[in-house]
Amino acid sequence: MAEFDAIVVGSGMSGGMSAKELTERGLKVLVLERGPEIIPERDYVDNLAPWESPNLDNVAQDEIAERYPKQYGGVAYAIKESNKNFWVRDDEHPYEEAEGTTYDWLRGYHTGGRSIMWSRQVYRLSNLDFNANKTDGYGIDWPIRYEELEPWYEKVETFIGIAGSAEGLPQLPDSVFQPAFELTDAEKALKAVVETTFPERNVIAARIAHLTDATEEQQSLGRSNCQVRNRCHFGCSFKAYFSSLNATLPAAERTGNLTMVHNAIVSSIEYDAETNRVTGVRIVDAETNEKRLYTSKVIFLNASTIASAMILLQSKSEAFPAGLVNRSDQVGRNLMDHVSGAGAAGMISGFDNQKVFGRRPSGGIYIPRYANLNGQDKPYLRGFGFQGGSSPLGNAGGQIAGIGRDFKEAHKNPGPWRINMLAFGEQLPNPENRVTLHESKRDRWGNPLALLHVTYSDNERTMQAEAIKDAVAMLEAAGCTDITTNDASLSKPGNRIHEMGSARMGRDPADSVLNSWCQAHDVPNLFVTDGSFMASSACQNPSLTYMAFSARAAHYAADLIADGTL
Amino acid sequence: MTTRREVLQGLIVSIGGATALTACGGVANVLSTQPGSAARFYTSTEYALVTRISDLIIPRTETPGAVDANVPGYMDGLMTDWANSETKNAHRTALGQIKAELDQRASGNFLDVSDSVAEQSLGSFDAAAFAEDGDASGYKRVKGYVSQSYFATEDGATEELKWVAIPGRWDPSVEI
Repeated sequence: MAEFDAIVVGSGMSGGMSAKELTERGLKVLVLERGPEIIPERDYVDNLAPWESPNLDNVAQDEIAERYPKQYGGVAYAIKESNKNFWVRDDEHPYEEAEGTTYDWLRGYHTGGRSIMWSRQVYRLSNLDFNANKTDGYGIDWPIRYEELEPWYEKVETFIGIAGSAEGLPQLPDSVFQPAFELTDAEKALKAVVETTFPERNVIAARIAHLTDATEEQQSLGRSNCQVRNRCHFGCSFKAYFSSLNATLPAAERTGNLTMVHNAIVSSIEYDAETNRVTGVRIVDAETNEKRLYTSKVIFLNASTIASAMILLQSKSEAFPAGLVNRSDQVGRNLMDHVSGAGAAGMISGFDNQKVFGRRPSGGIYIPRYANLNGQDKPYLRGFGFQGGSSPLGNAGGQIAGIGRDFKEAHKNPGPWRINMLAFGEQLPNPENRVTLHESKRDRWGNPLALLHVTYSDNERTMQAEAIKDAVAMLEAAGCTDITTNDASLSKPGNRIHEMGSARMGRDPADSVLNSWCQAHDVPNLFVTDGSFMASSACQNPSLTYMAFSARAAHYAADLIADGTL
Repeated sequence: MTTRREVLQGLIVSIGGATALTACGGVANVLSTQPGSAARFYTSTEYALVTRISDLIIPRTETPGAVDANVPGYMDGLMTDWANSETKNAHRTALGQIKAELDQRASGNFLDVSDSVAEQSLGSFDAAAFAEDGDASGYKRVKGYVSQSYFATEDGATEELKWVAIPGRWDPSVEI
């Protein structure tokens, strides 16, 4: 007799949504989180004033070198002295990179996973994305189309809350929106010029998972509207931005059906060949090293793309000698991220008599994909979107000439405006980009280290080079001066923190791991609903899609339990 | 007396919705060297130089200046607790070069000359540093430390920058 109806491995973006939907269907659910518990009342540090953190809130340089070389190198903008505990210590959680490659594996091990540190941009995929693999032959065809996912997007969006504006763009379907953060006048000027000069391009408000008109349901979970502090990387006492800790886990908790266990690092999944079912999860306690087994009727893997693939690879049996549900040899392969690095910035005149009030969170503008919308018309496949924004330069960094009263007074006027844009592009699926288990190196709990092997292809390089030209052309059209480009290098694989694809879905068990319900082809009571299932990366920030698929899979699993199939 | 922290907690409740009061995190022990105490990183000459430069860059006006806000103590803490040996060495070297340059411009010991001579010397040095390409003396970086430290203090943030903890709304175009 199983102890639980379902075990969800991981409490982050997708695990939280799986847990919410499963518990709301009346199932008894155990969520296993490998890290310690975060209690908002105790651990959020969003209410610290600038003068309440030492050393400009910078982590000591020697400590960065010793404990956070990868994490800090990847997201220096987000790791501060006061919130450094939200990021893993590289010295405690190492991984390996294949010779000649590099990878940023940026993580948070605690309640809510990376959903408490994310940058909160949310966009739907469209059929342009679901058709992409079939159209150009890279990867395998998605076994699903937009119309099947649309109601699940709506359900998830209504719950999480998204600030944005309806635009009616076929390549970027509208979400269920709360009021958007209004563009600055500089951004409106850019929008007017770009949409006139380049009719296929649009400049829209970034779509972000922040409450601007909280619903009754959201308020009932203790959430309130965004207070425009831009302290999101430190937690949010107003619970205004979506995280599983702020929303889905409390929703699951209030059903009375949720059990959460922290410090539970999954070593493997138990498989019973006689029934062809997974039966439980073996864990090692991160603090005590105690080993335990938890059993359930169904298992949801939401450990994050790389970790979920590793758990499957670690779960070897006679029936699955190459790792659980890996008869296709696709587990761990096709690892993707978004490729970035291409961008430009310039000074825009005419707004020096303006400043802003409030600290807008997470960007300002988004330029949805415009490449290859109606057939192939670019020297690269697929496309990219630009994230960007504008702001007065500000002078608090001290990098303007002058001393004395004039220098001091200069800070009252924030100075000329700068506008920037940064491309986030699609990475083609490639089976050689993969995570495997290191042959000999193990972590302190005895689990194999991840060995990452990911490189970019010419398509990503060409796309980013073209993106820089496009960005410059738009800024020039808007009359910007002092335009700079960051064309030195592409973002490191993994650096956009959008890893996906390591257990792709497809129609054929011979070349895919999951079916369109995120259900393993080979074992019907195993579901993987984190980024692993993605058959292609599209170019949109993916968390919303992970959650929509998680909700859909959870209801499918609940139906199968209800009708006795599982 | 009501603390800022209690006011914040009250606000979180009054805005509605949030049922959980955060403890606002643990208050960090800000490790500035206190005025009157001996510096932990700087030599006495370096500390005097940083103090005089800070005072000239951000003087007391209608609002507190850099020395009022204990910027030299803040920077001493920064170098002691944050900087690695490479940064410490670079900072020390920069202060040496800046001192030599200012002594030359002041035709004497920059620390001893009159306020007007010191102001003139630093003003011309500052103008030259921002006119040139690069930052040969490391002065711009030192000025960056002074400015960032000042605006990270309560005086600098609230009185000069008008920083508010909870804006509560977004206005993208405020006429100055």
